[in-house]
Amino acid sequence: MTGTFVQLSHADWLSILPEVALASAGCLILLLEAFAPSLRRWFATLALAGVAASLYLLMAAPAGTTFDGRFETSPLTWLMGLFLGGSAAVAILVAKPYLERIRDEKGEFYALLLWGHLGVSLMIRGLDLLIIFIGLEILSLSFYVLAAYFRGIEASSEAGLKYFLTGAFASAFTLYGIVLLFGASGGTRIAGLAQEGLAGRPAVILGVLLLLVGFGFKMSLAPFHAWAPDVYQGMPTPAVLYLSIAPKGASVLVLFRVLAAVFQPGLPDRLHAAVAALAVLSMTLGNVVALAQRDAKRLLAYSGIAHMGYVTIALAVFGREALAAAIVYFFAYLVSNAGAFAAVSALYRDESKPHPVAMLAGEGRRARFAAAVFALCLFSLAGIPATAGFIGKFFIFKAALERGLYALAIIGVLNSLVSIGYYLKVVYILYMRDPIEPEGPPPLAFADGLALSICAAGIFAFGIFPAALWRLARSAAATLPLPGP
Amino acid sequence: MGIERLLAEHLLSVLVFLPTAGAILLLLLPRSATGVARVAALAVATLECVLSLPLWWHFDVALRGFQFRESAAWIPPLGISYLIGIDGISLLLILLTTILTPVSLLFSLSHVEKEVRGFSIAFLILETGVIGTLVALDLALFYVFWEVMLVPMYFIIGIWGGARRIYAAMKFFLFTMAGSLLMFLAILYVAIRHHAATGVWSFALEDLYRLTFTGTTAVVLFAAFALAFAIKVPVFPLHTWLPDAHTEAPTAGSIILAGILLKLGVYGYLRFALPLFPGTALRYAPWLGVLGVIGVIYGALLAFAQHDMKRLVAYSSVSHLGLVVIGVGAFTTISLQGSILQMVNHGLSTGALFLLVGVLYERRHTREISAYGGVAGIVPVTAALFLIATLSSIGLPGLNGFVGEFLVLLGTWTSPHRWWAVAAATGVILSAIYMLTLVQRVFWNPVTHEENRNLPEIRWSELVAVSVLVVLMVWIGVRPNDVLDRLRVSVDALQESVTAKQLVEAQNGAGLPGGAR
Repeated sequence: MTGTFVQLSHADWLSILPEVALASAGCLILLLEAFAPSLRRWFATLALAGVAASLYLLMAAPAGTTFDGRFETSPLTWLMGLFLGGSAAVAILVAKPYLERIRDEKGEFYALLLWGHLGVSLMIRGLDLLIIFIGLEILSLSFYVLAAYFRGIEASSEAGLKYFLTGAFASAFTLYGIVLLFGASGGTRIAGLAQEGLAGRPAVILGVLLLLVGFGFKMSLAPFHAWAPDVYQGMPTPAVLYLSIAPKGASVLVLFRVLAAVFQPGLPDRLHAAVAALAVLSMTLGNVVALAQRDAKRLLAYSGIAHMGYVTIALAVFGREALAAAIVYFFAYLVSNAGAFAAVSALYRDESKPHPVAMLAGEGRRARFAAAVFALCLFSLAGIPATAGFIGKFFIFKAALERGLYALAIIGVLNSLVSIGYYLKVVYILYMRDPIEPEGPPPLAFADGLALSICAAGIFAFGIFPAALWRLARSAAATLPLPGP
Repeated sequence: MGIERLLAEHLLSVLVFLPTAGAILLLLLPRSATGVARVAALAVATLECVLSLPLWWHFDVALRGFQFRESAAWIPPLGISYLIGIDGISLLLILLTTILTPVSLLFSLSHVEKEVRGFSIAFLILETGVIGTLVALDLALFYVFWEVMLVPMYFIIGIWGGARRIYAAMKFFLFTMAGSLLMFLAILYVAIRHHAATGVWSFALEDLYRLTFTGTTAVVLFAAFALAFAIKVPVFPLHTWLPDAHTEAPTAGSIILAGILLKLGVYGYLRFALPLFPGTALRYAPWLGVLGVIGVIYGALLAFAQHDMKRLVAYSSVSHLGLVVIGVGAFTTISLQGSILQMVNHGLSTGALFLLVGVLYERRHTREISAYGGVAGIVPVTAALFLIATLSSIGLPGLNGFVGEFLVLLGTWTSPHRWWAVAAATGVILSAIYMLTLVQRVFWNPVTHEENRNLPEIRWSELVAVSVLVVLMVWIGVRPNDVLDRLRVSVDALQESVTAKQLVEAQNGAGLPGGAR
């Protein structure tokens, strides 16, 4: 960096191209919406192309750091980029028939989704707390609008407002944490946090805790979860699909990055205890409250809260294997949770009304494919072997036991048992009750079918042949200076 | 690869995955093709049975260790492999599975009307799960198959079951899962200890056998394994899911549940819990025996109090499995052989009893004992078959049940726990009382209900299904050595390894690689 303005090198440009592609695809769609609305039916394809191009450019970018050590291209960002790209692609596939069903297919939906995706991409690649914060804000702003996408429906406006108010609050926490870390380390770069003697300073501890709160909010980690059920319920399902997966993965990665920089040999005992407590609280609260849910989207919201508890175990273990386990877990969570939301999107007709689980009665015999994939996803979320969800839990619990965190592992599996209660309840309603709706759901749209097939294939692929994913995750995790083998 | 070579070198893999392949094939059929689905499922199960017969002929009775082995890398970074093989114990249970599955499907030919295709698919996937569990020699692989079994069984009870099927299916799933999840952590822990001790990741059973655990660690790990298996058996007081699951399950589901799934608890105990933690297992064996004794008597008394035929047979399973548990707890060569043989016997006799109860139920749509009476004169063939199955169940000499019970009693008598044998013998007598009372109240006595006068006789498909089981009952009763020959070496090997390892544990638990605090 020289002088007062930033000069971008060739390498800088190359490394930022994936994000440029997303931004331009979003802008293009918005412009077409304004000037050539007749092209609307191609918007989804265009958005998919944007995501694919961004992924390609990410793979093609040379490894290393750019922007003066503020931006990373590494096996870690490739793998996490693949995870994010996967979430975005499934969300777009589901969005197309969804928006067509409600006769409200507008370019802004895809544009906002792409820009949100751009924000999350910045979060996983940024090595500077300000870049991460900007990414977080781009994501948040896009999704505040998406939450309130149905202007005429009260629940949707409510979701938008709730998400905005609580989200702004959480952003303030994050920013305050960044300020404290800036004050302590004299810079905003994460690498700068790795100075001698910084770890013990009260300002640093407080800063880290505030970041934990801010990103815990994005993860919908209890006790920062309260927004999730209401927002999920009112937000368009394809947007929830993305919001319930990608930002959570990115937040966990950011927390790993910051903690790895500050606490070199390992987490201090008290911080470890705090993280472990968050894990236990989130798993237990998520699973127990999910038992009482009647609405499909709220149920999945609480299930998501519980799953973030499992992932937080990896944060408490805090090591290279633990990060790899968290990455595997997120891939498993991607295919299972995206599939579940895709099925919800395909199985409910009237978006202006709530989505009670009871309405799905007997759909196992009418909407066979969507219901079967839904059941498969639920079994995967419950962690039944031969599905991806089991593999995710396998590596998380293995990491916990290896580190000697027996209590966390035992609380974790007991929570899995509780979760079976509500996942099986949905399966039971799908297959063992007689239909109450006179008509079945509309015929499965091609894009929905494709999204569901991809998720089902992913569940079996990761569940039965996890070795390749584990290897990739391990080599990706080696990017961070984490302790452990 | 030619089909002959495939069968010669990968017979076990073929047996594991053939049913799944069949299930996928069924999935491709149109939903309306119910007739085709029925026949295709039966054909796959029968083919499976035929293909499993060479195991019986080619099994080397003199060989120690596992036979028909296959191995392939599965998750190499963690040393998890697709490692399969069988010994005498798994051989018998595999054959029992491949025989009972087509028998159940044959019975279902004329009795399952709803969602035939789905039913057949669930059944075939269940068979893959069971056989996979029985051949797995890698703990991770074992756990995968062990849990996979739950899903099709959940659907079989929940969709094709009786009035309270939802409750029963949920209870079955949650009970079994509760035990398995803790076992899952124990499996992970054992593998982690192996890695810590040797620097190599492995989930292979024979590698993990070499570890020694002592003290609290051993007790906790053993408890985690034993709990999972005890729930499956089920050992008193963990049995409460069983009568519900059985009563609500469709007949074919009950046959598989009682005939095979329960045995996997005992099998798991013998294959995993006992050889991995022999010292602890033997130290707590008296408790196991006591629970077995309680199971025998309590199950028998409850069976006596039932007025639903199927519930009665279900409680008789609790009692009979108690006898098997006593034999395992006594841990003498003879009692072990008896227990394993008795598992096969119970599979045959209870399978036949459930089948025949199903035959009556399908005609009268009630299982209340008091709704029958004197039907022997109306359906003589059914009555005769029911009587044979009953006699096999209560251990009449000449039929299979006698051999198994006698060996368990004899073996237990020679162990330090003589009084278990006394209690077990009481259970045998009680079983004679409640089973013969059942036969009397259903088939003999005067006809009290006029609607029974037109009760149709057993159909040919049902007759074939039961006859297969009856032939096997007589065969094992007359020539028990055919079966016992295949068990001897395996039981000896099990006992020797357990005793040897127990010594090592006692001498220097902490000094060896993998020794626990």
